[in-house]
Amino acid sequence: MLALVRWLSETSTSSAIREIDGLIPVLQTIHILAIAMVMSSLLMIDLRVLQVTKSQTQSIADAAHRFETWIWIGLVLLAASGATLIIAEPQRTLPNSSFQTKIVLIALAAATTYALRISLRRNAEFFSVSGKATRAAKLLAVSAFILWCAVAVAGRFIAYTQPT
Amino acid sequence: MDYVNALLESLEHSALAVSIAESKWAFPIIETIHVIVLTLMIGTVLIMDLRLLGLASAKQRYTVLQRDVLPWTWWAFGVAVISGCLMFITQATEYYENEAFRIKLFLLLLAGINMLVFELIIARRAADWDQESSVPWLGKVAALLSIALWISIVFFGRRVGFTMLLGRN
Repeated sequence: MLALVRWLSETSTSSAIREIDGLIPVLQTIHILAIAMVMSSLLMIDLRVLQVTKSQTQSIADAAHRFETWIWIGLVLLAASGATLIIAEPQRTLPNSSFQTKIVLIALAAATTYALRISLRRNAEFFSVSGKATRAAKLLAVSAFILWCAVAVAGRFIAYTQPT
Repeated sequence: MDYVNALLESLEHSALAVSIAESKWAFPIIETIHVIVLTLMIGTVLIMDLRLLGLASAKQRYTVLQRDVLPWTWWAFGVAVISGCLMFITQATEYYENEAFRIKLFLLLLAGINMLVFELIIARRAADWDQESSVPWLGKVAALLSIALWISIVFFGRRVGFTMLLGRN
């Protein structure tokens, strides 16, 4: 791990990113805006799946389709800005236990979000009829949201955890 | 200005501020809540802005979308304000002196004015363009301003963490 951190921080890409004055807060801003895309889109899908949304003008399939794209665009932006931040300051992230927890949580959150997508695709037609499928989709919807919140918690705590 | 300083100092020395500042995890937890609610707040604002620009949710009626989305914006905004104030009081004097923080507050004021103008002038006649995929040009201007302002607010918010003496970045 230490060797990786040292090698990464000594690459010319890493020093180039660090040397651009004020780039790191810009990358973090992009990261936060991409979180906004993911979290709010998932919130809208969840509210529709949980039938909280008052207007039933939009079917669950339509709502999922409308917001799903933004989740995937957001995740790509998050991965790109996140990877750039890691390359710039590998010692801040890679050996940090909050960062390591975050990676595990991302895997869980992404898998749950993908499972929700499959569930919504499969059940779009008979959603109102099948109670079991509805319950599964609701459970996935809530779990995915909680998991992404947990990712955000672990992410912010990187700044407060001393690398080991 | 003595008033301001006296007020800031009394905030900083209040029991609440002292207990947040002395606790190891209170500030990080409040800051994390701030980040989560602000992402929800800005994301839901963007949903409305993109609808106004006719770029997304174009088939949804504006008034219907507004009823589904805006209550969450306001809840998230309320929690963001409370968590923001709790962070502010821990180092009130320094935040007050911080340039990025001042710019952020000014931009928040502009975003508020933009929203008020939109609500009072454009949204009041929403019935006229409710079903249209895009709205009167003034509404589009308000949407573009809103997008630009909120992105800048996030940026200057993040800058605060980098420019404070005890900054957490």
